[in-house]
Amino acid sequence: MAKIHGLLDIGRRGMAVSQTALTTTSHNIANKSTEGFSRQRVDVMTNPAIGDGNKRVGTGSRLSGVNRTNNPWIERQIEREGSNLAFLEGRSGALQRLESTFNEQSVKGLNNSMTEFFNGFRELANNPESLTTRTVVRDNANALVKNFQDMDRQIVTVTNELNSVIATGVKEVNAHSKEIATLNEKIHSLEITGAIANDERDRRDLLVKKLSEKIDISYSEDSTSGMINITAGKTGVLVTGTSSSELKTTNNENNQTQVMYEMSAGGTRSDITEQFKRGALGGAIELRDGMVAGLRDDLSDLSYNIASEVNKAHLEGFDRYSKQAVNFFELPQDGTFAIENLKVNDAINSDVGRIAAAARPNAPGDNTTANVIHSLQFKPVMGEERTFTFDNFYNSKVGEVGVMSQKSQANLESQKSILDQIKNVREGVSGVSLDEEAQKMIEFQKSYEASARVIRMADEMFDTVLNLKRL
Amino acid sequence: MRVTDKMAQTQVLNNIQKNRSELAQLQNQAATGKKLATPSDDPMGTTKVLSNRTDLKNSEQFEKNIFSAKMFLDTTEATLSQLGEAIIRSKELALQGASDTVGDTQRSMIGSEIGQIYNSVLEMSNRRIGERYLFGGFKTQATPFNRDGEYQGDDGEMKIQNQQGNFVAMNLTGDRVFLGRAIGKDDYIRQPEAVPLSTDQLQEYKLSEAEREFQNNQKLADRIETRGPASVGHVQTLGKVDPVTGGAGVNIFSLIRSLDVALKTNDKLAIQDALEPLDQALNQISLVRAEIGGRVNQLSVTGDALQKSIIDNKTVTSQIEDADMFQTMSNLTKTDTTLKGTLETSSRMLNNSLLNFLK
Repeated sequence: MAKIHGLLDIGRRGMAVSQTALTTTSHNIANKSTEGFSRQRVDVMTNPAIGDGNKRVGTGSRLSGVNRTNNPWIERQIEREGSNLAFLEGRSGALQRLESTFNEQSVKGLNNSMTEFFNGFRELANNPESLTTRTVVRDNANALVKNFQDMDRQIVTVTNELNSVIATGVKEVNAHSKEIATLNEKIHSLEITGAIANDERDRRDLLVKKLSEKIDISYSEDSTSGMINITAGKTGVLVTGTSSSELKTTNNENNQTQVMYEMSAGGTRSDITEQFKRGALGGAIELRDGMVAGLRDDLSDLSYNIASEVNKAHLEGFDRYSKQAVNFFELPQDGTFAIENLKVNDAINSDVGRIAAAARPNAPGDNTTANVIHSLQFKPVMGEERTFTFDNFYNSKVGEVGVMSQKSQANLESQKSILDQIKNVREGVSGVSLDEEAQKMIEFQKSYEASARVIRMADEMFDTVLNLKRL
Repeated sequence: MRVTDKMAQTQVLNNIQKNRSELAQLQNQAATGKKLATPSDDPMGTTKVLSNRTDLKNSEQFEKNIFSAKMFLDTTEATLSQLGEAIIRSKELALQGASDTVGDTQRSMIGSEIGQIYNSVLEMSNRRIGERYLFGGFKTQATPFNRDGEYQGDDGEMKIQNQQGNFVAMNLTGDRVFLGRAIGKDDYIRQPEAVPLSTDQLQEYKLSEAEREFQNNQKLADRIETRGPASVGHVQTLGKVDPVTGGAGVNIFSLIRSLDVALKTNDKLAIQDALEPLDQALNQISLVRAEIGGRVNQLSVTGDALQKSIIDNKTVTSQIEDADMFQTMSNLTKTDTTLKGTLETSSRMLNNSLLNFLK
């Protein structure tokens, strides 16, 4: 037969269980908005029953543990899709910048100044004797050069922006891997006692996701120690157990920030930039080394070809003073051409009479050379097969940027909704519902009260027993 | 399905954001009147708009070219019309002078009028438009003819682009109009019709021009026109290659000069000799005037075509980049209503909680 003081024990333990449950409920409510938090549940089990002849009498409840409600498979999905989203986000900002460089809907751009440049020569062909038309040709040429240089500068700005995305990204990666290593140590030491380090695991899961939003990572959990090991890209080991190592950045000769990995502190460095295909860094690297670098080269090609074609034709001509013409643009012939060095020949800048419109000396009305120069506008000289005119080539580049940006925006939208959906699923599993917690609160508060009543009842029972004699 | 507070909140936020970004985009469309704000809105359309703009600018430039060429040709035409009148007057005077009824004083009076006509023809041949001489070929900055009617210019034709790949010469060179060179059957080699369009063609052009100039000079040297009283009575015949000068046209200056001399020297036969060449000179002028008419006509036709293409171009561009205002406005109202609805339902949804009923 069960003893009365057994009842006291049941009541006491019942109160303790309810109190713990209420504490956990409060913890859930307080962490309702904590990023990466998974709601926690108190697992209660029956205390071992005691034998009483052929009956087993229960002895109340006890705490078996506090667990988090978490689906690792969903977490992994979020990590994957978050990485893909970050990849697209890493590009979309810079792409929009790049797009605005090539946008002529609102401002007059290169297309406009190229047309004006050639129309300047048409005006010159109409009236080669006039000083005014010559001045217009010179000014249009200078405007064209300036426009090329402005665009080039803007593309360089985009490159720099992407470089800084990479540099700050690497800093964040290093901070995260350091914290993960610390958490590894904590989790290991906590779980060795058999408990589950819920909050630490939540935090570590979150950090892994954040890491994956930056770079490609692969990771696995050591099932015995509960620690995770993380590798960046293919070869950059970031976290092993309780130790972490840092990624470094360095700028190469093309002003591109590269990600470096040191095998050991201060040891040989290897460039692992190429290994990143996902995350914000992957996106930034792909855009910077692909499209941005390509466009800059194309622009440089375009300006060089315009300048050299115009030069070739111009050199055949004769200027206002019946002298053999000079180069129209100053162009280095040793392959060191860069847009920032492009300029209209100083001789022409200081005296527009040196612009050649004629094809023979002593013929001030001759406009043959001017006709040849403006005809270059329709001559296919660009592209590998020399099938594009200057305008075609430039317009196709604008189209390319537009298509790229359009695609990236569409992908970003759909990726966002994919991630939102999975996050919703996660919230459905691990999120805190205030209604639910309020209900639990009432439930455990009532249990707490009832357990207290059990103790009072046992107390009264003792009184009854002790007062038996007096009756 | 288990719906937690955060899920509801995220959903509300996403919906509001979606409505707001849609609203912002429509507002921008309504404000700018353009549906194409960035290349990514319609990459193909943007490319088309860009090339349309280039075409438009070029067309506008071609219109300017045509205007300036026309002005040049019109001035030339006006001058040639005066020249024609001068020749007709000379013919009248020559007819009077050739008559047996006039005496030598009268002839010399007629002769002095012819002398004046010579001067006015000389003035016509040296006429300018702005700073440029009409008849000097490429040598637009120096007087094409000196007092003796000798040509100082060259045979350069200023080619003006009136549409892509097409050029029209805007000047007539003085040697053709006044000296009758390179008119009709003539062994004089004229400048090629084709305009060099590339550097390679320009190089070939320069070579062939040098060759041409050399050959023409050679021919001129072989057939140098003899001058002086002996040749004054001599006149050229249009259509037939003159064995001495190699030309098939009429040298208007020497013709009037010889008429002048004939009148003043009372040489009736020489005056009669001048009658037919005067007709031929008139023909020669009509011939070049017809040429001008042809060119002006060509310019007018392309000018009209350009104007039409400019309108078409603007229409196409507008179709691609301009927003349909009615649609934009109705979409704007629709999205605005949706946003209000979202906000209202959101406020109700977020305020509901079990906690509200536990008091």
